[in-house]
Amino acid sequence: MIPSEFEYCRAGSVEEALDLLAQKGPDAKILAGGHSLLPAMKLRLNSPGAVIDISGIGELSYIKEEGSHLVIGACTTHGDIAKSTLLSEKIPMIVEAAAEIGDVQVRNKGTIGGSLAHADPAADWPASLLAGEAEIVLASSSGERTVAAVDFFQGLFTTDLGENELITEIRLPIPDAYTKSTYVKFEQPASRFAIVGCAASITRSNGSCDKVRVAFTGVSSTPFRDQAVEQALEGQAPSDDNIEAAAEKAAMSVEVMGDHFASQEYRKHLAKVYARRALQAVLS
Amino acid sequence: MDTKKIKLPHGIPGHNLGQIEREVPADEPPAWPVNDELKHVGKRVKRTDAEAKVTGAAKFTSDIQLPGMLYGRMLRSDYPHAKIRSIDMSAAEKHPGVYAVHIFKNVVGMAQPADDDAAGEYPDIKFAGQPIAGVAALTTEIAEEALDLIKVDYEYLPFVVDLEEAQKPEAPLVFTTNVEQDDAGGGGGGDTGLKTVGNVRGPSTSSFYGGPRGDLEKGFEEADTILEQTYRTQVQTHCSLETHGVVVDWKPDNVTIYASTQNTKNVRDEFAEVFDLPKSQVRVIQEYMGGGFGAKHSLGNFGVMAGYLAKKSGRPIKLMLDRREEHISSGNRPNSIHYLKIGARKDGKLTAIQQRSYGTAGVGLGAGVGRIAQIMYESPNFSTEQYDVFTHAGPGAAWRAPGNVQGCYGLEQAMDELAEKLNLDPIALRDVTDTSEIRKVERHRGAETFKWSRRKLPASDPGLIKKGLGMAQSHWPRIVHIDSTAEVRAFRDGAVEIRSAVQDIGTGTKTVLSQVVAEELGLKPEDITVRIGDTLFPDGPPSGGSIVTGSITPPARNAAYKLKLQLFDQVASKLETDASKLAVDDGQIMSTEDPSKKIAFKEALKEMRTGQISATASRSDDYGGFMVGNAIAYGGLGSVQFAEVSVDTETGFVKVEKIVAVHSCGRPINITQIENQINGGVIQGLGYALYEDRVMDNETGHQMNSNFDQYKMPLSLEIPDIEILIVEDYSGRSSTDAYGIGEPANIATAAAVANAVYNAIGTRIFEIPITPEKVLRALNKV
Repeated sequence: MIPSEFEYCRAGSVEEALDLLAQKGPDAKILAGGHSLLPAMKLRLNSPGAVIDISGIGELSYIKEEGSHLVIGACTTHGDIAKSTLLSEKIPMIVEAAAEIGDVQVRNKGTIGGSLAHADPAADWPASLLAGEAEIVLASSSGERTVAAVDFFQGLFTTDLGENELITEIRLPIPDAYTKSTYVKFEQPASRFAIVGCAASITRSNGSCDKVRVAFTGVSSTPFRDQAVEQALEGQAPSDDNIEAAAEKAAMSVEVMGDHFASQEYRKHLAKVYARRALQAVLS
Repeated sequence: MDTKKIKLPHGIPGHNLGQIEREVPADEPPAWPVNDELKHVGKRVKRTDAEAKVTGAAKFTSDIQLPGMLYGRMLRSDYPHAKIRSIDMSAAEKHPGVYAVHIFKNVVGMAQPADDDAAGEYPDIKFAGQPIAGVAALTTEIAEEALDLIKVDYEYLPFVVDLEEAQKPEAPLVFTTNVEQDDAGGGGGGDTGLKTVGNVRGPSTSSFYGGPRGDLEKGFEEADTILEQTYRTQVQTHCSLETHGVVVDWKPDNVTIYASTQNTKNVRDEFAEVFDLPKSQVRVIQEYMGGGFGAKHSLGNFGVMAGYLAKKSGRPIKLMLDRREEHISSGNRPNSIHYLKIGARKDGKLTAIQQRSYGTAGVGLGAGVGRIAQIMYESPNFSTEQYDVFTHAGPGAAWRAPGNVQGCYGLEQAMDELAEKLNLDPIALRDVTDTSEIRKVERHRGAETFKWSRRKLPASDPGLIKKGLGMAQSHWPRIVHIDSTAEVRAFRDGAVEIRSAVQDIGTGTKTVLSQVVAEELGLKPEDITVRIGDTLFPDGPPSGGSIVTGSITPPARNAAYKLKLQLFDQVASKLETDASKLAVDDGQIMSTEDPSKKIAFKEALKEMRTGQISATASRSDDYGGFMVGNAIAYGGLGSVQFAEVSVDTETGFVKVEKIVAVHSCGRPINITQIENQINGGVIQGLGYALYEDRVMDNETGHQMNSNFDQYKMPLSLEIPDIEILIVEDYSGRSSTDAYGIGEPANIATAAAVANAVYNAIGTRIFEIPITPEKVLRALNKV
């Protein structure tokens, strides 16, 4: 339970953090809230040579409206997101996901950027960011690029984040006024991470579902948007039968994980149940 | 011996309360009336150490800091089965900041070969986590670095960690000779002198209630209905908030050990034996304790290691286990495969019970399913065969009602199923088969509070989320520890103190003792200073078997009574009366004949010829004698628990909505603390029923969930409304007539929950923990 020796650096600004990243090379790790990195270091699953602490960078903590997007700074805590009235009005599933993370202490320290960079397959964030068609802004000393969430998550603890890059912002398009969204979750009872987390966002007009976005976390080693479920409902009027039929298609296209708490078969079953519960909640 | 006859309260108030006359030693105090007529006993007295605990002023073993203290850590095997060819400590020893190293010559807390002539230079490794060596260093960090520098040359051997795999003929053997274990877990298996075949030892067939009885074959022939089922329970690990550990301070003529222990006396005795010291030179202190549920009775490998490191370094050593070590090495509740065959007549009378069990305490002894099937119901024909199965896994240990919790889970589900087969209400069936008067009262008072009559047919609740109600009951013996002594002292300034080595493991023993002494001396509990948990004081009972209150409160009262008589002698002439005419009340000593002749208790102490007076008393035999030896009292500690659950039939998620727990413990001493203990027992029972499960990896022999991130304990979100009824049950067996509550609180919960789940969904789950996935599989939805 004691990490191996490492160099500790504290960055006062994004620029300084990026310089340090470039300077310390691939052996460096970014520390924000510390709720993913520090346990991994204590268990010696990760033994970085240098830790660059960005928790003091105030400019990375914000939630604001910027044109057609809501933008969230990478160092914004889950707790601040869970309390955001702006997000609650515009994209409720983001607030619901934030409120499901860990406990109060974790939410008060853990950050959205840290969680995304860690890419735990059972983390809460990916489902609602995928369903919300978020973009993730990555900065390095040579510039900035924006990646769609769907391209960002690449596998178990694996993302598109480069070795000298830092997540600086999460951008969410503000949905149409006729959009409703939710995040529902069946949790591992001890860790309270998601066994199945399902986000659904549906835009309706004239009684039919115009745009359906459904995404899962916890089910597979990579979080994913479930297009089979989306397509089954898009253009349909919401009825119990339609919802049931769409939910039945959940998790068909992915390799479902299994572990000692929830087998592959059981997780797959839960994915269908939670797809239906999410769709019902949004369409009720 | 001079004796006298006294009349004591007998029976259950509101049911059959009366009096019983018993012949008792002449120096015993007069009988106390029932609690309603007492001032402090049986009341909700606040814990004496409540402030110290909530403000953090209380110092636990892990808080102890001594000048020059070093930190000890142990190297543990990563392999479940191996021989050690060599150990090279040289690099660790030279590591800067390391002051001492030590290699174990033998390890304790596990079964040992009966004839130990095959022992090599190093003990064979028999489980992943077995300690090998240790180091003492300036910091824990340096100690851990040094552990990394120890080179162990292993010869790897095949291993088995699964209960069923271990029973197969081709399974790798854990022991190749017959084995014994002095400090076995006590679950029902593990009798001495039994043979081992393969990895299977036993069976144990008898207990202190005797051996098999009657004729099984005849019993089953007489049955109208026969029920045969197999129940499975998991391994539950000890998860005390404070881990095992000690601080050893070795001075030239006195070793002081601060220990997180349930048994100060035993830690002293074991340390003295290992290091060949007189017991008078070993002092064990346990002032505050962060939990102990049966695994903290011994010095342990950590205590032995800390002793050697202290001796070698000449410095105090702190050695506390971390959470992973606690899970993998410090004891656990063994699992069980429990086969039951029960025959019953149409009217519910049982004709035969046949029981067989296999369980693994890893490298230890004492798995089993306890004695509850033998004793709780009337059945003329009975047999039990309880086998220990060895696996290459951490040793089991006593765990709050060893064996009986496993056994109750099976037996009480069987009774529930039998009731349904016989078309009887589960309570009505027990009224026919259970002769215990106290449990009968508990069943019916509980049923009324719980509103049992609203229980519906299985699976009849409409909708996806179904409610269910269930009940289960249990028995625990009244165990007494005769070697229990208390001393009461009074000082000239008015101070009164009680001393005993007995420890308070968080159950409230300190408060209970203050109440008993205050009641006897006519003082208030807050007037009494309680000094316990220190072997400088007279030996007390161990905190195990729910024996503390029944063992130490009678000598505490008797010592206070003797001190009171001394004081009466000293003030009688001043009050111009005879000492035999004096009594105490409300801080005064007064004449029973002329209340104007009185003196305040504090003023009376000023009249003493010496600065202190003192009286000591040891636990006398039970009034009317014991049922078995000088340890098992007549009667039992009954309990009945009711559970209400809701089950989500789409996800299998079980939520416990309400528990009604009805308990007895003779004369209750402190209602609030009894409720605290029952709450704790029920919550642990819920963990056992629904969540806790040590998961072993068959490929590596390691526990996969040796942390709270993966090993689920019930937390505040999972804890339901728990309503507690305490039934006073007087039997007139000692000067306090009080017994413990720790173990009974934990026994029936899992079975009550399982029966409620059956009532909700109409399908029985035969294996705990009842996880959501198991529920869905039982419903054929996965």
